[in-house]
Amino acid sequence: MDYDYLIKLLCVGDSGVGKTSFLYKYTDGVFHTQFISTVGIDFREKTVIYQQNGRQHRIHLQLWDTAGQERFRSLTTAFYRDAMGFLLLFDLTNEASFLEVRNWIEQLKTHSLSDDPDIVLCGHKCDLQEKRLVNPNRAREFAKNYNLPYLETSAKTGQNIDRAIEILLDKVMFRMETSVEYAMLCATGRRRQSLQKLQAKQDRKFCSC
Amino acid sequence: MSLQKSLKSVSGEQDTTSICSSVTTQPDRHGFFGGAQYSPEPKRTVSPSTILKREQKWLRMLNNWEAFMSKNYKKVRERCRKGIPASVRPKAWLYLCGGQLLLEKHPNEYEELLQAPGDPKCMEDIRKDLHRQFPYHEMFIREEGHGQQELFSVLKAYSVLNPKVGYFQAQAPVAAFLLMHMPSVQAFWCLVSISDKYLSGYYNPGLEVLQRDGDILHALLRRTAPAVHRHLVKHRVEPVLYATEWFLCALTRTLPWDSLLRVWDCFLCEGVKVLFKASLVVLAGALGPAKVRKRANGLCETLEVLRHPPDSVLGEEYLMYHMQRLNLTEEDFEFEHQRQTARRRAMANRSGS
Repeated sequence: MDYDYLIKLLCVGDSGVGKTSFLYKYTDGVFHTQFISTVGIDFREKTVIYQQNGRQHRIHLQLWDTAGQERFRSLTTAFYRDAMGFLLLFDLTNEASFLEVRNWIEQLKTHSLSDDPDIVLCGHKCDLQEKRLVNPNRAREFAKNYNLPYLETSAKTGQNIDRAIEILLDKVMFRMETSVEYAMLCATGRRRQSLQKLQAKQDRKFCSC
Repeated sequence: MSLQKSLKSVSGEQDTTSICSSVTTQPDRHGFFGGAQYSPEPKRTVSPSTILKREQKWLRMLNNWEAFMSKNYKKVRERCRKGIPASVRPKAWLYLCGGQLLLEKHPNEYEELLQAPGDPKCMEDIRKDLHRQFPYHEMFIREEGHGQQELFSVLKAYSVLNPKVGYFQAQAPVAAFLLMHMPSVQAFWCLVSISDKYLSGYYNPGLEVLQRDGDILHALLRRTAPAVHRHLVKHRVEPVLYATEWFLCALTRTLPWDSLLRVWDCFLCEGVKVLFKASLVVLAGALGPAKVRKRANGLCETLEVLRHPPDSVLGEEYLMYHMQRLNLTEEDFEFEHQRQTARRRAMANRSGS
């Protein structure tokens, strides 16, 4: 367990939008053409180096994969509380999955720890240009209204897969930087100790005034 | 956690070898060209003469089915526990689960259900899952091939028959598994029986029955393997995280094929408690050794162990032997069932008030 932070991210979106493929591509660099549907909850892991203010942090990512069908939500929403950030996927070749995004955002707001959770919206399967049904401008406009970063991704070509996670990680790390309390949720080992000291110092400051 | 999926994840390399080695050759004796379920070496645990004898016994039993089931159920159970010979298995399963009775009672219903348009949302959900069941099996390997078409029909017919459940994603592997053994009309009536009787409530919206059964499993584990139970509690490994797929898919995605067939022989005879027993044996086998628990000192590490239980634990002989030695009575199951049901009800009342 040699890392500074353990960060849990959760991948959500309608059934069949490509959540499992997305995460596989990110952690293993492989795109499988043959897959089985996710029943329940699964996870993938990856350790990355993150640069922040000239400092290097080793971050262990726990990426939770969830089944998309609505009936699973009674199981999966319980895990939203533990997640620091969310990858919200829809399928660019499936209009209905895009229309459901609004609903997913509501779900995340209701069940996650924060009222304003960190989310990155991904229009997935962008390699299938000839089957595309969701116009890029429409998706971008939508994301802008909700103030979400939006990327078009493909597990097949790998386009923007790493980028999407990086952007989400930036958001999570930014939040940590501004809140020691929040950072404590993820920090491990020595990083945790130094944060504890920092927190104690802050507390003292409050006491004196 | 699914073995099929996770085995692929061990390393990309391992995955390619398992596919490549099989793509050029014949499928294994169960029809798999690769993936986690591919099992090349032929099984020789029972001698041909014993198999022949068993086949004859089973044929006699199937010809007097009602009589055997009503007067000599213990005999049927004993023979199921020994393993049903492959040649009579499809018919035996159809009789055991009551699919045959349903089929006789409603001879034309399957065809009629297929004529109905079906709920569009259900139909779309089913279509999305057709190519995602046992993709390495000869029946389902081809996109829109025969197997996938039959799978669509069976799932569609069920969703029309029981609109309250409609289509639930966990039904697809169960239906596909049945289709590997029997014609679609028989597979359909078996699926009806399994969904509505054996796993009654598992597929209903809310998934409360599943969550309750997860708690029951956890409580039973406390009796059968206290150290493993303590470990799971310590690292907050909830049943929902590892047993969801085990239960919802009736272990079809979890066990190696030979073990799965044996467990299903018992499951269709004795009911859902067989899934509990198999799960308890896997849990105790995988996390039983203290050194394994010591190494798996976290949530994900523990889940990882449960994703890949050792082959020895999943082997059919080990599994069947230890399932029968679990020392859990009917009353133990009943007791935990009552207790967890009451507990959940109390919890619901508290949060409701």
